[in-house]
Amino acid sequence: MSDRENGDAAMDSRLRGNDGGHPTEARKHGEQRREFGLLAAIVVASPVLVGVGYSVLGALGVAGPGADGLGMRHVQSVVADGATWRGLLWSLWIASASTAIAAVLAMAVATVFRGGRVSNRLVRFMALGPLPVPHVVAALCGLLIFSQSGLLSRIAFATGLHSSPADMPALTNDRYGIGLILALVWKEFAFLALVAFSVIARRGAALEETARSLGAGALHSFRVAVLPALWRGLLPSIVAVFTFVAGNYEAAVLLAPSSPLALPLLTMERFTDSALGVRGEAFVLVLLAMVVSIAGVAAHEWAAGRAEAGD
Amino acid sequence: MTPARRAARTGLVSVIAVAALLPLAFLIALSVSAEWFYPSLLPRRWTVENWNVLRGESAAIGRALSMSVALALGTGGITAIAGLVAGREIARLDGWRRRIAVALAFLPVAVPPLALSIGLQYSVLRAGFGGRLGGVLFAHIVPALGYTTIFFIGIFAVFDWKVEDEARSLGAGPRDVLIRVTIPLLRRPLVEAFALGFLVSWAQVPLTLLIGQGLVSTLPLELMSYVSAGQDHLAATAGLILTIPPMVLLVMAGLAVRRLRVVVP
Amino acid sequence: MDGTNREPRLSAKRDFRVSADLTFESCPHSQLMTYASVTSHLCLSKLRFFQTAMAAVLACGCDTEAPAPQISASLPWDSIVARARGTTVQWRMWRGDPSVNAYVDGWVAPRLLRDYRITLRTIDGQGPAIVNQLVVEREARARGSADLIWINGETFNNLQKEKLLYGPWANRLPSAASVDSLSSIVMRDFEQPTNGFESPWGRVQFTLIYDSVRTPDPPRTVAELSRWIRAHPGRFTHDQQFTGTTFLKSVFYAENGGSRSFEGGFSEARYDSGSRRLWAWLDAVRPFFWRKGETYPAGVADLHRLFANGEVDFTMSYNENEVITKVRQGVLPATSRALVLRDGSIANTHFVGIPYNSPNPAGAMVIANFLLSADAQLEKLRPEVWADGTVLDVSKLPREAAARFRAIDTGPRSIPRDTLRRYEAPEVAAEYTERIARDWKVRIRADTK
Repeated sequence: MSDRENGDAAMDSRLRGNDGGHPTEARKHGEQRREFGLLAAIVVASPVLVGVGYSVLGALGVAGPGADGLGMRHVQSVVADGATWRGLLWSLWIASASTAIAAVLAMAVATVFRGGRVSNRLVRFMALGPLPVPHVVAALCGLLIFSQSGLLSRIAFATGLHSSPADMPALTNDRYGIGLILALVWKEFAFLALVAFSVIARRGAALEETARSLGAGALHSFRVAVLPALWRGLLPSIVAVFTFVAGNYEAAVLLAPSSPLALPLLTMERFTDSALGVRGEAFVLVLLAMVVSIAGVAAHEWAAGRAEAGD
Repeated sequence: MTPARRAARTGLVSVIAVAALLPLAFLIALSVSAEWFYPSLLPRRWTVENWNVLRGESAAIGRALSMSVALALGTGGITAIAGLVAGREIARLDGWRRRIAVALAFLPVAVPPLALSIGLQYSVLRAGFGGRLGGVLFAHIVPALGYTTIFFIGIFAVFDWKVEDEARSLGAGPRDVLIRVTIPLLRRPLVEAFALGFLVSWAQVPLTLLIGQGLVSTLPLELMSYVSAGQDHLAATAGLILTIPPMVLLVMAGLAVRRLRVVVP
Repeated sequence: MDGTNREPRLSAKRDFRVSADLTFESCPHSQLMTYASVTSHLCLSKLRFFQTAMAAVLACGCDTEAPAPQISASLPWDSIVARARGTTVQWRMWRGDPSVNAYVDGWVAPRLLRDYRITLRTIDGQGPAIVNQLVVEREARARGSADLIWINGETFNNLQKEKLLYGPWANRLPSAASVDSLSSIVMRDFEQPTNGFESPWGRVQFTLIYDSVRTPDPPRTVAELSRWIRAHPGRFTHDQQFTGTTFLKSVFYAENGGSRSFEGGFSEARYDSGSRRLWAWLDAVRPFFWRKGETYPAGVADLHRLFANGEVDFTMSYNENEVITKVRQGVLPATSRALVLRDGSIANTHFVGIPYNSPNPAGAMVIANFLLSADAQLEKLRPEVWADGTVLDVSKLPREAAARFRAIDTGPRSIPRDTLRRYEAPEVAAEYTERIARDWKVRIRADTK
C-alpha cells in the first residue's frame, strides 16, 4: 500500500473512533458492566413487548374487543384479503419516498449550511420551522394547499390558468399519495435536519480538519470524512422516520386515497367495524405493521453490521 | 463560490424559507377568518370568533393546555436523561449484543402508536392507572424513551471515548465519569433530546386517548376532534396554540445552547 | 354503601366487615361480598379493613371495577334525584360540533348545576370507540370512565349484544311520559326495541344538501339524481362513513320499492336481491362520480369541504337541519339548501345510554330526564342553537309549551315539517346497514389493481 492509502486507512480508523477510543478499550475497564446495555435496552422495549403480547392474544381471538374464541380465522381472513397487501405496499411506498427525500434534503442542508456563520445559523434555524407543528396540522395544511380547490389551484384560477377545480391535477387523495408525501417530507425533513445538525456540530468540523490536515482536498475530505459519519449518525433516525411514516394515521386519513387503502387506515377501519368479531382482524394488522417495522430495523442492523465489518 | 453554486444555494435558501413560513402564515390566516372557499384567494370574512370559541370552551382548552404542558415537560426531562444513560450503555456494547440492544431500543419507535396504545391499554387499565395523569405520562415515556435512546446511540456512535478513558485513567469512578465528564460534554444533545421527548409527548394522540380513557384531555385530542369534524378554522387555531410552546422551547434551546457554547470550551 | 361515592368510605361509623384476605385481585366487589364474611371482632376487623384497604389503594389505586350500584326497581324518582345531588357525571359524547358543545356546556351544564347541583363533565368519544372502551374496561376490570353515553344504531346493537349497558331504566324517567311513544322511529333503534336500555334524545332525517345558486333545479328522486350525475360528471360523491352508508341505504330502499320490503328483521335472501339492484345502480353512475369513483372522502366533514369549495355540487347529512348550523359556522356557503328525496328520507333517533359499569347511574338518569324536558328539547330545536329534532309528542305537553314548539321558526333553509313527515322512512334491521357498508367497501377496493 502506498503512503497515501496508508494514511487514508489510518484516517478512516481514527474517524471511526477506532483509535484508542473504541469501545473495546472501554470494555477492559467495564467488563462487568457489559450487561447494562442489554438491560437498558430491555427496559426501553418491555412495554412494547407487553403490547405485542396482547396484540397476539387479540389476533388469536382470546382478548380484546374482537375476542370470540381461540382460533386462526382472523389471521386467515386478513392474509387472504388482497386489500391487506395492497395497503401494505402502498404504505411502504409512501414511507420510502418520504424518508428518502427528507433524508437527502436534511443531509444537503446540514452540509451546505454548516458552520458558525450567522447566515448559516439562520438558515438552520428556519429549516427547523416545521418541527413544532403537529403532523395532523401539517396534513391539514397540505390538504388545503394542494387539493383541487386548494391554495395552489386558486392561484392558478386567479392567473387564468384554470377555470374549475377539475383542471387542477389531483395531488390529494390520489393513487400515488403525492400530497401525503409532500406533507410528510415537510415534517420529517425538519426532524432529520435536527439530528443531522447535531451530528455535524459534534464531529463535522473536527473530522474535516483532520482530513484536510492529512492532505485531502476539500471535496474529497468532505466525502470521505464527514459524509460517512453523518450517514451513520443519521441512520437510526432514518429508520425511525421510515417506520413512523409507515404507521402514521392522522396524515393518511386526510390525504390518502380510499383505495388502495393505507395500512393504518385499514387497521382503524377494522378496529371500528360495526361487527365486533372483525376487530380481531385489526390486531392481526397491528402485528403485521409491527413485523414490517421490526424487519426494517433488522435490515438496518444487518446493513450497519456489514458496513462496520467491511471498513 | 461559483455563480452556479451561489444560485443553487440561494434556491435552497428560498425553498427552506417558503416551506417554513408559508404554512405558518396560512395557519394564521385560517385562524382569524371564516368562509374561505374556492376560488377566493383571501377569506370572505376576517374575524376573531375562532379564538373566542376556543376561549368560550376555555375551561376545557385551558385544562387541556396545562395537561399537555405537564406531560410534555415530564416526558422530556425523564427521557432525556434516561435516553442518554441507555444510549451510552448500548453504544458501548459490541457485536451481536449491540445489535440486539439497538433493535430492542428501536421497538418503541418502530411500533405504530396506535398499535402501542391498543397493546398497552389493557395492562395500564388493569394496574389501575387508566384515566390518570401518571398512566398517561408512562404511556408517553414509552415511545419518547425510544426516540431519545436512538438519538443518543447516534450521538455516541461518533463520540470520542478517549475523553472518558482519560478521565478514568485519572482515577474517576464510572459514575463520576458520567456526571462530571460525559454529561457536560453533551449539554447540547441533552437539550435537544429534551426537546425531542417534549415533542413526542406534546403531539401524542392515540396513547393519550386510549390510556387516558378520555378523562385526560390534551390539546392534540381537541385538535383531532376539530379536524375530523371539518372545522378547519378552529383546527388551525388549535393547531397554532399547539405549535407555540414547542416553538418557544426550540428558540430557548437554541439560545441556551449558544450561551452554553461560550461557557463550555 | 352509597352508590354515588367513588372512594371507599373508611368511616368508623360504617359497619363494614370485610373478608380478611383482601388481595390485589379482589377489592370489595359488591355489598354482598362485604357482608358475606362476618367476623365477630368488630375492632379487629375494622383495623384489618383499614390495613387491607390501604394496601389495596396503594397497590391498585382502587380503580378496580365495581359494577354499577344497582338502583332497585322500586326506588321512587325523588330518591334517585336525592342520590344524584352534589355528584359529578361524566358524559362520553361526540365533541366534534361546536354547536352541540355550546348547547351542552353552555346551556345544559349550568342548569344542571343550578337545579340539581350536578357537575357535568363531557369526554370525547363516539360509537365504535365507546364499544371498544367498554370492552377493554370490562376485560381489565377497570373502573368505569363514563356515567352516560351518547349512542344510537349499531353502537346500541353492539352494546346490547355484549351486555355492556345498564338497565332497563329509561321508562322510569318522569319526562318519558311526554315522549312520542307511538312513533316507531323514536321507540325503536334500527328496528330493535330499546326496552328501556336507552333514552331518546333527538331525531333527525337524511337530506341532500345543494347550492341554490349552482344547482337551481336539483333532482328530487333517486332516478332524477342518477340522470343528473350522468349529465354532470365528476360533481357528485358520497363519503365512506355513516352518512355515506345512509345515502346508499336510501338508494337501496328506492330501488326496491321502499323500506317496507325490508321490515321484519334481516333476511339474507331479501338482502341479496335488494343489493343486486343497488350495485347495478351504483355501477351505472360510478364512472361519473368525483374522481371517477376511484376515491371517496373519508367522512362527511370531508364531503362538506369538497362541496363548499366547489369540487362537487352535493353534500348530505343525516340531520335535516345540519345545513343551518353549518352555514352559521361558516363551513357551508350561505346559499346551501337541503332537500329530501321523495323516495324516502331515512329518519332515526339518537339516544343516551348508561354503561354497565357507570359509577353514577343516578346522576346519569337525572340528566337523561332533564334532556327530555320540554325546555331542553325546545332549546335544542332552535336553529341558532342546534336545530336537532325533538323526540317529544308535542300534543302531550301542556298547551303553553306546545305552543312554543309550534312557534319555532326554523328559517328559510329548513324543510317544512309536513314535508319531512311525508317522506320519512324508518331504519330497518342493523344487519342491512352493516352488510351494505361492508360489501360496498369490498367492491370499491376490489376494482383497483
